[in-house]
Amino acid sequence: MNVLPLILYAAAGVAYAVHFATRRPQAGRLATTVLVFAAFAHTFVIGMQTMEVRHVPFANASSAISTFVWLLALSYLYLEMTSDERSMGVFIAPMLAGLQTIPAWSPGIERIDPMLDSPSFWMHVSSLLFAYASFALAAVLGLTYVVQFTEIKKKHLGFFYTRLPSLQTLDIMNARAVAVGWLFLTVGVVVGVIWVTQARAAAPDDPNLRAMSLDDPKIFVAVLTWGLYSFAVLARRMMGWSGRRAAWLSAVGFTIVLLNFLPISYFVRTSHTF
Amino acid sequence: MHLFLLGVSHRTAPVDLRERLDFSSRDVGAAVETLAARASAAESVVLSTCNRSEIYVASSEPSRAREELIAFLSEYHQLPRDAFLPHLFTYDDTAAAHHLFRVSAGLDSLVIGEPQILGQVKDAYQAAADRHCTGPLLNKTFHWAFGVGKRVRSETGLGEGAVSVSFAAVALARKIFGRLQGRRVLVVGAGEIGALTAHHLRSHGVAEIVITSRTAAHAEALAAETGGRAVPWSDMPRAMGRADIVVTATGSQRPIITRAEVEAVTGRRRPDPLFIIDIAVPRDVDPAVGEIEQVFLYNIDDLQGIVQENLARRGGEIARAEAIVAEELSRFTAWQRSRRAIPTVIALRQRFDDIRRSELERLETKLGGLPPDARARVDEVTRLIVEKLLLEPTEQLKALPDEETQAVYTEAVSRLFRLGDGSDEPDASPMDERRRRK
Repeated sequence: MNVLPLILYAAAGVAYAVHFATRRPQAGRLATTVLVFAAFAHTFVIGMQTMEVRHVPFANASSAISTFVWLLALSYLYLEMTSDERSMGVFIAPMLAGLQTIPAWSPGIERIDPMLDSPSFWMHVSSLLFAYASFALAAVLGLTYVVQFTEIKKKHLGFFYTRLPSLQTLDIMNARAVAVGWLFLTVGVVVGVIWVTQARAAAPDDPNLRAMSLDDPKIFVAVLTWGLYSFAVLARRMMGWSGRRAAWLSAVGFTIVLLNFLPISYFVRTSHTF
Repeated sequence: MHLFLLGVSHRTAPVDLRERLDFSSRDVGAAVETLAARASAAESVVLSTCNRSEIYVASSEPSRAREELIAFLSEYHQLPRDAFLPHLFTYDDTAAAHHLFRVSAGLDSLVIGEPQILGQVKDAYQAAADRHCTGPLLNKTFHWAFGVGKRVRSETGLGEGAVSVSFAAVALARKIFGRLQGRRVLVVGAGEIGALTAHHLRSHGVAEIVITSRTAAHAEALAAETGGRAVPWSDMPRAMGRADIVVTATGSQRPIITRAEVEAVTGRRRPDPLFIIDIAVPRDVDPAVGEIEQVFLYNIDDLQGIVQENLARRGGEIARAEAIVAEELSRFTAWQRSRRAIPTVIALRQRFDDIRRSELERLETKLGGLPPDARARVDEVTRLIVEKLLLEPTEQLKALPDEETQAVYTEAVSRLFRLGDGSDEPDASPMDERRRRK
């Protein structure tokens, strides 16, 4: 079922690339339309899975990635529609398609576990996934900022210069994405701590719950991520770390998020393996 | 009805002649009205910019229109014919439309792709349309030309990139700051290019323009001209600390802005970018200033380099723009051809309808006994039969691929159905047709 959104994300990626290269408005409108259809199809897929397992599917790594991709697509569409700026699509859509290959290739088995069937668990995971989607956007905006900055600074006003938005626009959008992501990351981590306290009281012998501490690689990296983005938010306000520094911080931050998402989820056994 | 164009442009006439034939400084509307009063120009539009004066007319006799337009130009501008005759160009029908499409696309401009021309063409048309001096032919042709201009703008890079130093500086500022509303500008020195750049920045809505010059009177004069504020020369560092964009254009022989001075106003105290445009030769700003993280430093050579690149890039887009013009022109001529078939089509329909009516009249005695609704149905059915019979031939006649074939076919149709001698005269109205037949 995850294949249809994958095909549509890939098609949107091609359309965004054509739009970026040729700057034809029709190609841009087509790209957005295809992405909207992809997001609809993905909503349908996730809706079906939700009905099947009675909660939003994110209890295994593949379905969590699928939900992350869906949230990222929605966040990006929101950004595009509010800023009227399509040039980021050429970076986001391939990322959506690339990540979506994982759930399409191996969907994983979504376990129905009564322990996970609680509103705070649901809030924990959805907040974190939304935070990561925001960080993904921030990272793309940050890298784009660096590209545009380099073109203007080095006076090579070439291919990207004409196609990318202004530095100011990119910086403001990056700041917003980081702030929103940080807020959701904080909520996700706090709710996670509350949930694990409640769950431990209900099932004191569960090995996973017992292992949930800073020694756990996934939790450790998540806290590290929180530390880094907290620094990014504070440094912007207090130390004037905007522009290129903020851009690099959000790129490094998202690399850590991806590290937590992919290798750690798949190859390291953690307390978060359900 | 034929499209006819007569005019002078920067390609055919020197500037002093263009000035003498200029309509834009006087009332273009009055010129159009004077022109429309002449018998040979049923419709007319006068396009007048600093690079061209062109008169577009719809006329049934282009050769007569030519003579009348020359006389009009001579009278209106009080110039002897011989003064401008060698510089005139004239185009008929397709060539005239081709010229208008190229003009609207910016392909005939002095600076290829310049954006103002499309607006000027629209204004010229509007001035004529407001005075009811345009009709079916010019309405269609000009609206088509607006479409061509828009297509070229959106599908090619012909109008892209600044092609003057001051525009290049403004374009860069927009890539750094996005909207320029609310930004502060410091102009150091009161020279011509500095003033021009200040004007461009002002038109993009910057919040404040501060001007400083070693000669306070110069700074004050430029401040008055641009709606800015003059500050003493000694206040420059403080003004730079508040500015987002600094334009320097002094005649100083050595740099007046050093790295240390700029560092003192940037860094942690001021995280926002600072865009410094150094237009002066020799340079006013120490090149090392450009190494500061949030400072973007461009000198006159950098800006001129951008202008040259943009001009070269525009040159590379000409072929694509010409292809769009050619494509639209072929669609336009197809429309014109279909239009030429209209009188024949009208005459043909009239002939068939006359036959239908006379047959119904002949049968009146037999049909007279029918109830009114049945009688009306007979009328309706016969009318529908005639329409259906003529639908296909009409479409075919309109869609014929070239003028010669169309002339042969319309002639054949006219003869076969005895449509009368004047049936191939374009734009004959149904009323004219009826009158002729009586």
